[in-house]
Amino acid sequence: MTPTVSASGLSLRYGGTRALDDVSLRLAPGVTGLLGPNGAGKTTLLRVLATALPADHGAFTVLGNDPGTARGRQDVRRALGYLPQTPGFHPDFTAFEFVDYVAILKELTDRTARHREVRRVLDEVDLTDVRGRRIKKLSGGMRQRVALAAALVGDPGFLVLDEPTVGLDPEQRMRFRELIAQAGEGRTVLLSTHQTEDVAMLCHRVLVMAGGRVRFDGTPAELTARAAGRVWSSAERAPAAKAGWRTGTGTFRNVGDPPPGAELLEPTLEDGYLLTLDGEGAQEVTAA
Amino acid sequence: MTWHVSEEDLRAYAQGELAPPVLWAADTHLGACARCRAVLAGVGDPAALDAGWERLDAELDAPRPGLFESLLVRTGVPDHIARLLAATPVLRGSWLGAVLAVLGTTVWVSNALRTTDSPTLFLALAPLLPLAGVALSFGPVLDPTYEMAVVAPLHGFRLLMIRTVAVLVAGLGLNGLATLALPGFGLRALAWLLPALALTTTGLALTPRLGPVRAPSLVGGAWIALLLAARGAGPAGDGALAPFTAPGQAVAAAVAALAAVLLFAGRDGFDRFQGRAV
Repeated sequence: MTPTVSASGLSLRYGGTRALDDVSLRLAPGVTGLLGPNGAGKTTLLRVLATALPADHGAFTVLGNDPGTARGRQDVRRALGYLPQTPGFHPDFTAFEFVDYVAILKELTDRTARHREVRRVLDEVDLTDVRGRRIKKLSGGMRQRVALAAALVGDPGFLVLDEPTVGLDPEQRMRFRELIAQAGEGRTVLLSTHQTEDVAMLCHRVLVMAGGRVRFDGTPAELTARAAGRVWSSAERAPAAKAGWRTGTGTFRNVGDPPPGAELLEPTLEDGYLLTLDGEGAQEVTAA
Repeated sequence: MTWHVSEEDLRAYAQGELAPPVLWAADTHLGACARCRAVLAGVGDPAALDAGWERLDAELDAPRPGLFESLLVRTGVPDHIARLLAATPVLRGSWLGAVLAVLGTTVWVSNALRTTDSPTLFLALAPLLPLAGVALSFGPVLDPTYEMAVVAPLHGFRLLMIRTVAVLVAGLGLNGLATLALPGFGLRALAWLLPALALTTTGLALTPRLGPVRAPSLVGGAWIALLLAARGAGPAGDGALAPFTAPGQAVAAAVAALAAVLLFAGRDGFDRFQGRAV
């Protein structure tokens, strides 16, 4: 299958920090998850792929277009839907007006065609009934759906979503996951997230980043399999564990190299993720 | 119904040639008036009529634009440009009100404490307001949709220019009104105009290199330093500081022209994210 996105050797440095370090990847249609702790370089990678930031080194194409040239960058942007980590809104706009505004930024200048497209995407995220309501009066979940609707304007072939489920309550998160799954039908979606549940439920493939590098690239099942035989239960925190936490039953769930005779547990995607980080940000993820 | 759409307008509507705001009025009216819909059915060819119905269907769902947008459209601004301008933070009432308050105070002080033939305080302050207005109309600090705008196909420089022209028209217009309140100073009270253009274009030209906060801050600081230096060197015969004399105005014009060239040459710098990455 021809990849939608093909990148090789992407590197980017801020001051003394190497935000991206020789990142290579290929993305095909479907939802690909991007996991990693804070500061792993996820947002930087998304901004580079969304053409907001130029990489210091390396190259990539989106649907065959090279963003290294002004014309190629325009072509990439015409095929792109982008939902930033903290999408900003003009609070006095209604949901319709905001999506209409983004549609204008996407060069839809014909009023009738633009309004038809705005109605289509608002309907797709199930916001038709509140289209005339001011954004400042919408709930956090609804605002996030407005931002997703804006990203879907123009039916982009490549959709970049930066932690879209952060701050949503469980019901809103489930609703949003349904929308992402729907958006992933027939297009390529790159989903950055802290939530391993997002990846387990939505993604056919997952990338794990830490320290600006891609540490894992495979299926969620393969990431889970990394923890097979390396998760065990104990009455006390095991000193040898790379990560461990007390569960609801009062016992500790440990991840790492188990001692002989340990009571092994069924691994999860999160266990595989923590082992992949191998200390980099593992403490933070464990605490979260 | 107390009124009906004229047959001429209905013909234009059916052919897709009716322009806003008459188009919007017709859309709204047709949704509620069976008589006009019947007339419409008789005046257009079927294909054009279908397009008209589709347009009507789309318009009935669209909220009415706000007062500011409607005013822009009534003055001939295309509706998509009007919406881009409605999203410009500094074109809101709070900013314009603050500018008016500052200008009003400055004019009052210049008239009340007049000691020379030149309204120095007003001339020093007036160029800074358009500089600040333009700086605050684009960039990650005040534009909440900045990140979405940067990766949109509409070139960042084009969006910047659309907003800059609008902010300059508003800012220079307010400055002009304030100038009218200084009749005793004659044409000397207009000596802010060229420095205003020079500061604004220089601030924009430096933005891709220095960022949207540092560039206008440095330019504003340099302007104040220049005025302090001119004050230290002593005013000209009519009491005007060097930047407000004829040679000073010529230098401001040259700086504005040079900065405009540099701004255009560096336009692609506005096509990339200018905030901090994470």
